[in-house]
Amino acid sequence: MKFAIAVFSPAHAPSSRRALRYAEAVLAGGHEIARLFFYQDGVHSASANVVAPQDELDVAGQWRAFIEANQLDAVVCIAAALRRGVLDEAEANRYQRPAVNLPKPWELSGLGQLHEAAQVADRLVCFGGD
Amino acid sequence: MTTLHVIAHSPFGDERLASCLRLLGTDDALLLCGDAVYALRSGSEPHRQLQAAGLAQRLFALEEDVQARAVGNELAKAVDYGGFVELSLHYDKVNSWL
Amino acid sequence: MAKSLLIISRQAPWNGPSAREALDIALAGGAFDLPLGMLFLDDGVFQLAADQQPTAVQQKNLAANLQALPMFGVEDLFACSHSLARRGLAADTLALPVQVLDDAALAALIARFDQVVTL
Repeated sequence: MKFAIAVFSPAHAPSSRRALRYAEAVLAGGHEIARLFFYQDGVHSASANVVAPQDELDVAGQWRAFIEANQLDAVVCIAAALRRGVLDEAEANRYQRPAVNLPKPWELSGLGQLHEAAQVADRLVCFGGD
Repeated sequence: MTTLHVIAHSPFGDERLASCLRLLGTDDALLLCGDAVYALRSGSEPHRQLQAAGLAQRLFALEEDVQARAVGNELAKAVDYGGFVELSLHYDKVNSWL
Repeated sequence: MAKSLLIISRQAPWNGPSAREALDIALAGGAFDLPLGMLFLDDGVFQLAADQQPTAVQQKNLAANLQALPMFGVEDLFACSHSLARRGLAADTLALPVQVLDDAALAALIARFDQVVTL
C-alpha cells in the first residue's frame, strides 16, 4: 500500500520523531512512501542548521539519513519555508538572504505536491501540532 | 467510510479529545499518542469521558507513550508503530487532530 | 475519480499562520479542481465572525480570502453548531455562507470524505 506522510512540526517536537518512527514502520511493513511533505513548522524538520544537544536524539539528522537511505521523495512547502526562514540556495539568492539551510535531499515545492501525493496514496497520514 | 482519529495532545485544558468524542462515528476508532495518553489515567475526567464513550475495541494507545509516562492503561489496546500502521490500513482513513 | 479531501480548520484567525495555512491547502486543491470540503470547528469558527479588523493587528484580511473559496471551486463549507453556540456566534451573523451542522451530521460528513486533514 502507498502512504503519503505529512509533517507539520519541527525536529524537536515529539510528533516529528513519531512521524519518523511511523515512516520507518511503513517501510518495514513492506509498504511504499509515495511522498513525505513538510508543511507549517514541519519545514524546520528539514533544516540543515539544527544542532541537537549531544545527549539528545538528532531527529533532523535522522530524517535526512532516512530519506537518503530509502531514496524517498521529500518535499518542503516553499511558502511555509520562506515564511519561517528555511531557504535553499536558489531562494537565498533570490531574496538575498545570508544563509542556505535547506540541503538535498529535500526539494522546495508547492502545496500541489501534497495534493498529488494524497491522490496517489492509499493513506494520507499527518503528524504535528506540537 | 471509517476513520482512525489520532490525538497527541493532553486532554487537560485542550479541546481536541472532547471535540473528537462528539464527532466520532460508530465505526471509527481513536488512537491516543503523545500526551493524549494522560486521558487513560483512572480517576481523571478524561478517563471518565473515554469510558462513557463506550469505545470498547476501538480505543488504542501508542505503547511507548504509555510506558514513558507510567500511565496505568486498562482501557486502551496498546500498539507499537507496526500496529499503528496496520490500524491506518484497517480503517479507511486517518484523521490526526494536529 | 479524484479522492475527496475534507480540511478541518480549528484555529482562531489571528493565532499564528494556521488559519491561513489551512485555507492555502483548500485554495491549492481548488486550483487543481479537486473535490474538497472545509469545516470550521472549535476556535476555527472565529474565522467566520463578521466585522473583524485584521489591520488592527497588522494582519491580512483572511475573510476576503475565505470568500474567494467558491471562486476556486470550494463550495462545500461547513461549521460546527456546537462550536458556534459555545462561542456565542449566531449562525445568521457569519461572514461566510456555511452549512451549520450538528455533531451527528458532522460525523456523517467526515465519513463521506476519502481523506481528512485537521489543522
